Amino acid sequence: MSNFEAEVLVVGSGAGGAMAAYELTKAGRKVLLLEAGRDYDPKAETPMFKRNGEAPLMGAGNSDKDFGFYDATVDGGWQVPDEPYTSAENSEFLWWRARMLGGRTNHWGRYSLRFSEHDFKGKSRDGLGADWPFEYNDLAPWYDKTEALVGVCGTNTGLDDMPPSSEGVLQPPPLPRIPELLVAAAAKKFGIPTAPMHRAVLTRPLDNRAACFYATPCGHGCSIGAAFQTTTSLIPMAKATGNLQVLTDAMVKSVDVDDKGNVTGVSYIDKKTATEHKLTAKVVILAASACESARLLLNSKSAKHPTGLANSSGQVGKNLMDSTGTGLGAMVPALQGRPIYNEDGHTANHLFIPWWGHQAQAKKELKFPRGYHFELGGRFSEPGANIDTSLQGYGKELKQQVKNKYGAYVYFALRGEMVPNEHCYMDIDPSVKDKWGIPVPRFHWKWSEHELNQVAHGLQTAKAILTEMGATVGDLPKAEDAILKGGQIIHEVGTTRMGASPKDSVTNQWGQTWDCPNLFVMDAGVFASNPHKNCTLTIMTLAMRNSAWLAEQLAVGSLMAAVTPLIAEGAV
Amino acid sequence: MTKNTKLNSEDPGYQYQSGMTRRDSLKLLAALAASTMLPLLAGCEKPAGSAAPVVPAAAAKTGEHWPDLQLTPVGGKGYGKDPNLILPPKSPWPLTMTAAQLTLLAIVADILIPRDGQVPAASQVNVPAVVDEWISAPYERQQQDRPVILSALAWLDDEASMRYQAVFAKLTPAQRLTIIDDIAYHNEQTPQQFKRIASAFSHLRGLVVAAFFATPEGTKDIGYVGNVPIAGDYPGPTPEAYAHLSKVLAELGLSEFAYKA
Repeated sequence: MSNFEAEVLVVGSGAGGAMAAYELTKAGRKVLLLEAGRDYDPKAETPMFKRNGEAPLMGAGNSDKDFGFYDATVDGGWQVPDEPYTSAENSEFLWWRARMLGGRTNHWGRYSLRFSEHDFKGKSRDGLGADWPFEYNDLAPWYDKTEALVGVCGTNTGLDDMPPSSEGVLQPPPLPRIPELLVAAAAKKFGIPTAPMHRAVLTRPLDNRAACFYATPCGHGCSIGAAFQTTTSLIPMAKATGNLQVLTDAMVKSVDVDDKGNVTGVSYIDKKTATEHKLTAKVVILAASACESARLLLNSKSAKHPTGLANSSGQVGKNLMDSTGTGLGAMVPALQGRPIYNEDGHTANHLFIPWWGHQAQAKKELKFPRGYHFELGGRFSEPGANIDTSLQGYGKELKQQVKNKYGAYVYFALRGEMVPNEHCYMDIDPSVKDKWGIPVPRFHWKWSEHELNQVAHGLQTAKAILTEMGATVGDLPKAEDAILKGGQIIHEVGTTRMGASPKDSVTNQWGQTWDCPNLFVMDAGVFASNPHKNCTLTIMTLAMRNSAWLAEQLAVGSLMAAVTPLIAEGAV
Repeated sequence: MTKNTKLNSEDPGYQYQSGMTRRDSLKLLAALAASTMLPLLAGCEKPAGSAAPVVPAAAAKTGEHWPDLQLTPVGGKGYGKDPNLILPPKSPWPLTMTAAQLTLLAIVADILIPRDGQVPAASQVNVPAVVDEWISAPYERQQQDRPVILSALAWLDDEASMRYQAVFAKLTPAQRLTIIDDIAYHNEQTPQQFKRIASAFSHLRGLVVAAFFATPEGTKDIGYVGNVPIAGDYPGPTPEAYAHLSKVLAELGLSEFAYKA
């Protein structure tokens, strides 16, 4: 790195960090990207076409590989060795991390739904949470650019929960499968729409990435680049500019400031040698994930920033949100013994149920303020470690039961918007440090009635649709038992939220921290709310837009001119 | 595949041999030898069927019994958080089942999934070895399953001894089925003395069935035709599949609500 003078340090190589690196290097800026995990080469390491039976335990998940043996996550999951986190008393929160180049983009679900004006202005509508500091129309062109670059398949449906992409941006979606078509008909009887899911999976070739060949679950990673991950797209593209350097096994510990409180760079631990190093640059961008970036800020205390960096509002770590999650499934007799064909498709939802209740909520007919969607499961999937203890008998009769059930189970997974509340936040555990001596996050969590009522509504709706499909569904669980734990949907956002005022937000609409003009946040920490539609597309879109804005400021010199005077004023 | 070309699992004197490489077999033999000398490592101190089964006093009338296995936790570590996904570890932790347990398991597995025309029986596609790997794994779920599976196997020997004065493997196929018929249906009609074993047997059956269908032969048998590359667009359902859906929609009164793109 001796000849490489980085102007911008980017912390994290996932959705936000890699997009920032791509946009800035394309604009001619020298970027050093730091990743806490190891280097990762999806071309060489992705287990394409591998069968469950070839893996230990038929591929089943466990504490080493929570989502199954072949899941792409490296050195991560609900626990990272030697890097703990804690939960406050009576709180339970799960925090998924990956320690690898590309972060969680290597295994994510690739669901890529746009937020809408409705989503951005929840508070104006119902008084809860916070509005975002821009209009949908400000973001729409950036959604177009991001979708075109990332490659998203889907259609413009005209539904109010699904804002349209510009002509020619979306790639064609795959045809629906039989169980999805049965759900669609049953749902429609209730006036509930279904629509092609939008997924960051290529159905047409793009750049040097191949189109999907409809095999191998995307969660294993995708060596052909069809399923989007930064390691097959943004990172190599940024490297090709000659303006990017990547440093792996570099665990950033703090953001450093000078005596005046100006951000000067970062300190990191080289995990291979367990030694601490400092880097300096004009600009620091945090994109380490919402909770990791908030942790960094809270751990970066100094005389000028006694409650943590960029925390004059006191909002760093607050407003922690996840998506709500629950599910309901049933055996559908009408699907038993149906004709078999290849239902892998792009290995996730072809159809889903978007939120249909905006009007009912406007009329106050529902007991919860924010919406949800259903992801639909059930197909002829590859056999694996699915241990069915309800089978009976033996011999021919047993095999026939298994074959009858095959592809006949349908599952509704609810993903909903939660409202931020004062009980959901993270701070720094006063006594626990990780292996590197870095104090760890402590999570506080409590669902409110908004989420419980929403989950109850979702369970009743799923039951009604399943019943219409001819399935027998038993008594529903109570919402407080059915709702998944905080963090479990892995959509944690909000801990460095953006807003219109430095009083109640951490960054402005550009992800620029109010307190430090040369410090940015470009992960989901900046989300002002957490719409039900999966956060990654919007993380990438904001990172692209805000990096383009940052590049403009650097080009005209306005950003650095702002640094010293602003802080100097504050110092008076 | 299996090296048992002469004997099948219905024959008295059958012994299960997993279809591992010779190198793996030697390792296993060494492990088994070590486990004989060091019963604590083997995890199961009571060889199946060798001692009188425990019959709770209250249950004496009903004939209910349950083996009193003294299981110690398995040793070994997991495969870690960064295993090689391209060349998965073949035997990531020490296997713990004895030769006698594996043979008994093979016999039971073949009763559950016998040879079916050209489709092999469970023991012929290594199902017992997969179950052994499962219950020997140092993870929470597998360690919960371990006593259930080993108790079910020991129960079979105990029951065989009580009925026929021989371990299960020494019974004739007809004798074996008299026992299996009593425990293979777990429902409200299951007699009290068989409720616990029927539940454990359901678990064993679920594991055997999963292990069988996860093999290439089992995957073919169930009809899974995916995980092969497709050129061009995803073709979607076949005409037969669409025709079946139309029939289903009509029967459910949903035809008028059929999805339109």
